[in-house]
Amino acid sequence: MLSRAALLSGQQNRALVALAARTTGTTACNNVAASCDSQVEMTRPVRMEPGKVRMGFIPEEWFNFFYKKTGVTGPYTLGFTLSTYLLSKEIYVLEHEFYSGLSLALMCVVAVKKIGPGLAKYLDKEIDAYETEWNESRVNERQVLEQQIGNEEKMQWSAEGQNMMVQAKRENVALQLEAAYRGRVMTAYQEVKKRLDYQVEIQNIERRIAQRNLIDYVVRRVMSSITPDQDKKNIDKCIADLSSLAKA
Amino acid sequence: MAFGDYPADYNPKVHGPYDPARFYGKPDTPFGQVKLNQLGEWFGRRNKTPSAIAGTFSRAYWRWQHKYLQPKRAGIAPFFQFITASMVFFYAINYSKLKKHRNYKYH
Repeated sequence: MLSRAALLSGQQNRALVALAARTTGTTACNNVAASCDSQVEMTRPVRMEPGKVRMGFIPEEWFNFFYKKTGVTGPYTLGFTLSTYLLSKEIYVLEHEFYSGLSLALMCVVAVKKIGPGLAKYLDKEIDAYETEWNESRVNERQVLEQQIGNEEKMQWSAEGQNMMVQAKRENVALQLEAAYRGRVMTAYQEVKKRLDYQVEIQNIERRIAQRNLIDYVVRRVMSSITPDQDKKNIDKCIADLSSLAKA
Repeated sequence: MAFGDYPADYNPKVHGPYDPARFYGKPDTPFGQVKLNQLGEWFGRRNKTPSAIAGTFSRAYWRWQHKYLQPKRAGIAPFFQFITASMVFFYAINYSKLKKHRNYKYH
């Protein structure tokens, strides 16, 4: 019926969406669709605990109603006197069905007293098993989803590690680039130095050759300018000096 | 309001999920707190259309169900209540015939 109503009109549809949102939400006022002014009336039906009874079927509340006015024995007194009245005036007629009903009631009471507790225990166990079975898939799914979330978080964590790795690789590449740059700068320096050294060496050699040539030229000219007479005089002077030295 | 519709006063935005055991109209004084001299006007204020009367019984039935039959660990009480109620009902509808089984002439 809900789906039919949802198809019928947009207005109702919105209301149902609001209703669905509210039934799934944990707090009463968590969506805009729910007008929070009139929330006082809103109650969520919850599964009740079974109502208390006395003598198998009479609601406890009836006894409590009497308790304030007549005390504990009041309702029993009422029941007893009322049944006496009904019987004595034969409003309730004790025909044959009454006695068969009495025996049936007796059998019911005995059955409830004898088999009741065991059956209740068995049924409670079955209920628990049933509930566990129905919950099982939910619990399992929740577990699986939690595991998946854990995996996902781990994946994210390792992806962050990948980030760090990329960063490290980037730094590594930067270092390599720096090293290559420095190497090339060094090569350029060395090449330039080599060429400059070459020029220096050339100049040195040229100067040396020029010097030697100049010396040769000067010596040759000096030698050529020395006459044999001068040479002889010189030798004589040397010998005189040597002899003077020898004397001394 | 056609068959199968929610009560006219029920508004999901205000009342939340529909509860068949709940009265969604304007609440009057509970029957248990009505004074005897005000009982007449209390009944005068009641809505006595057939659908309203049917709704009353439907709510009572659902309230009984929620309390005794639907709980997780419901006992045998609702069955005994049903049996007792049907005993009373059938005794009442057969009373004209059962009356003939009386054992005494004068009471």
